[in-house]
Amino acid sequence: MADATVSVPLDVYRYQPAVDHEPRYQRYTLDLAPHTPVLTALLKVRAELDPTLALRYSCRSAICGSCAMQINAKSRLACETPVGPEVASHGRIVVEPMRNQGVVRDLVVDQTPFWRQYARIEPHLKLDPAQPMPADRPNPMTPEEVERFHDTPRCIACAACFSACPAVEADPAFPGPMALAKLYRFVVDPRDHGRQDRLVRIQTEGLWLCLRCHLCTDSCPKNVRPSERIRDLKEMAIRVQGPTERGSRHAVGFKENIRTGGTLHELKLVRQTFGLAGTAGQVGQGLRIWRKKPEIVKRPRPIEGREELESIYAALDEEDGAR
Amino acid sequence: MARHEVVVVGAGLAGQRAALAAVEAGRDVAIVSKLHPLRSHSGAAQGGINAAVGAEDSVETHIFDTVKGSDYLGDQDAIEFFCREAGPTVVEMEHFGTIFSRAPDGSLARRPFGGAHFPRTIYAADRTGLALLQALWERLGSERFTLYEEWDLTNVVVRDGRVQGIVAFDRQKGDFAEIAASAVVLATGPSGRIYAHTTNAHSCTGDGVAAAYAAGAALKDMEFVQFHPTALLESSILITEGARGEGGVLTNASGEKFMVRYAPHVKDLASRDVVSRAIVTEVQEGRGFTGPYGPYVHLELMALGRERIESRLQEICDFARRFAGIDPVTQPIPIYPAQHYMMGGIGTNARGETSVAGLFAAGEAACVSIHGANRLGGNSLLETLVFGKQAGLAAAAYAEGAPAPAMRATDLEEATAPLRRWSSRTDGEDPSALRAELQATMERYAGIYRNEADLMEGIRRVRALKARFERVRVVDRSSVYNLNLTDALETGHMIELAETIVVGAYARTESRGAHARTDFPARDDARWMQHTIARRTPEGPNLSYAPVGYTRWAPTERVY
Repeated sequence: MADATVSVPLDVYRYQPAVDHEPRYQRYTLDLAPHTPVLTALLKVRAELDPTLALRYSCRSAICGSCAMQINAKSRLACETPVGPEVASHGRIVVEPMRNQGVVRDLVVDQTPFWRQYARIEPHLKLDPAQPMPADRPNPMTPEEVERFHDTPRCIACAACFSACPAVEADPAFPGPMALAKLYRFVVDPRDHGRQDRLVRIQTEGLWLCLRCHLCTDSCPKNVRPSERIRDLKEMAIRVQGPTERGSRHAVGFKENIRTGGTLHELKLVRQTFGLAGTAGQVGQGLRIWRKKPEIVKRPRPIEGREELESIYAALDEEDGAR
Repeated sequence: MARHEVVVVGAGLAGQRAALAAVEAGRDVAIVSKLHPLRSHSGAAQGGINAAVGAEDSVETHIFDTVKGSDYLGDQDAIEFFCREAGPTVVEMEHFGTIFSRAPDGSLARRPFGGAHFPRTIYAADRTGLALLQALWERLGSERFTLYEEWDLTNVVVRDGRVQGIVAFDRQKGDFAEIAASAVVLATGPSGRIYAHTTNAHSCTGDGVAAAYAAGAALKDMEFVQFHPTALLESSILITEGARGEGGVLTNASGEKFMVRYAPHVKDLASRDVVSRAIVTEVQEGRGFTGPYGPYVHLELMALGRERIESRLQEICDFARRFAGIDPVTQPIPIYPAQHYMMGGIGTNARGETSVAGLFAAGEAACVSIHGANRLGGNSLLETLVFGKQAGLAAAAYAEGAPAPAMRATDLEEATAPLRRWSSRTDGEDPSALRAELQATMERYAGIYRNEADLMEGIRRVRALKARFERVRVVDRSSVYNLNLTDALETGHMIELAETIVVGAYARTESRGAHARTDFPARDDARWMQHTIARRTPEGPNLSYAPVGYTRWAPTERVY
């Protein structure tokens, strides 16, 4: 475990919004063993070189969620990111605050928007007064029911996913990956009586704004896999309410569309997604696409081997029914 | 000036539970915390929470195990209350939404833990603290209260013999402010950062204990410091006792399972003080490993198999892989004991009342005492919830009948004038350097094994640091998120508490639980079956002694 030290150039984002005209990057160079976490490096900077550097940190063991930041442009926990591989692949370590949250000072961000989205999904058990909890004993729950939470109970609210998410950046109506993973945790909880309401509500409150880029899953230090749970929420929402929203109609339309011809009939998908009246509103956009891609108006030719496709769909339907 | 009926300082499990009890009692409640509540150190607790709910187990056995584990320094009346509350407390947390691990029949899964006769530790994989913290915050979140987030406690204001409020530093605004309160609950958690090697988070600096001490409250049993046997080498990150509960064993450099020589009956599941001393003894007698990060022994989990390790010990499996480059499925984990828990703290009774009217304390910041000279694993999560609730109820009841707090305009100025001088100095001591020296001093002179000469030297060095702290200097002039100032505040708190530890340890000429004197190796019940009480004076802690609450369990020799 004893490593020879390497020279670690840290380029750290420094900014005090009330004082500085613009952010700057300050270079600190330290000699460190390659397995040294970035957090340890930053604390060494604070203790030995510059006590004015501001950052959040506490547990240093990836459980309190305080030290998420951008390290070489990826949102991660500083306490569990070793310096060696970063220097090896980038030649230096650029340390910046998380995205999608305003800077308070240096690496410290204002997490108000993150916590607001968390609060929006009503993160608490909803009880049914007609069905009280068993007196003096715990609710029974099988290990299989616990499995259904997947890894969502591991979430440490570090906001790395919120920082990495382009949908959060694009639309404040999107609750963000963490809040949706938390919502999933309540939806699958056998003790919660709000399942139906939660699923119906989220259909119109941002669920379908997810772009399915999976950057949240990629950035999550605890393997919560928010994008997979968002996918589960979408499936559950359609099952509960049917395809009532543009997003869910698009998903269902896409599926049926492919089933029919084996390839996408884009004009038909527009109609499936927006409905007849809504499609009229898409004419301008349609014309712009048509100019670049005139084949869009043609009905696509059914692909060969469509029979095989039908058996795939049948298998999928069967699996769906089994859930 | 902000004003609330009950102000709870600290937002871990004890603070949140106290706040919930006070809110439910109808009081206007504020929570002041230097971390967002979900970032509290309670979330780092891994192994589980004790409750004798198994058919073979009983509350009586839980009481006895806790009394014995405390090496007969725990108050037996408080321990009886504590163990009786365990079952209802766990049920309540399950009803709040905690996602516990489950047995195949749907009941709460239990694992064996050190010092316990039966598998009594209810858990959520190896992140029980996080599971409880999430559920309690979710429950509390639907109530009305005020949250002062990222505020550092600087003072508890006491006048006319009772609490009037607090003074704290708002990190984001960069200013000191007073909050008037009829009752104050201190639930600020651990102070393990006093030691160089600790499993505790960086934020665990004993702020509430130090503020209570400065305000005249009595501290209790400060010399009893628990060292957890299995901390990851170098980083001192905790490897849960649950790892041994699931079947992990300690081995020395010859591959010998050495715990059989120290605790022939329960081996690796002996009490923590026993296991930590065994590891140090193995190393001192040449049977440990040595490496660039100091001596160590092995914790072997390989026999458990991949499935069990990765499902029940998921977090520590990640820790070992990420922080030590070790895969516990195929390799032994290098471990060495590190500071883990302070049995001592602000002296309270089972209602959380301190020696100051209107001041309450709960959780690790408090000392009831139920842990006595050594805490059993799985009892501290339980403590936060049981006594957090009691302190919240007592504070709410007190606040209802108390006269309006009489904070004066000058209170803020008086409390913060010395702190403001830190920033105006052009020359002085660096708080980070003082902190590092303090940590090294405590590690060296007040560690697992202690003796008179070491403790004397420890006292001398801590007092020298205390004198140098008078000239501490804050160089950061910014008003926003000035961590240099926070560093200085915390370092001042830790130096004060360190002094009570070394002075208390020097005076106690016996070995009991976690306090092991090589020059006084035996327990001395005739003279020392009593609590150490420390009160602050300008010259240092003034020690006195108080009897142990005794009901039914006569002290016997403690063998595991």
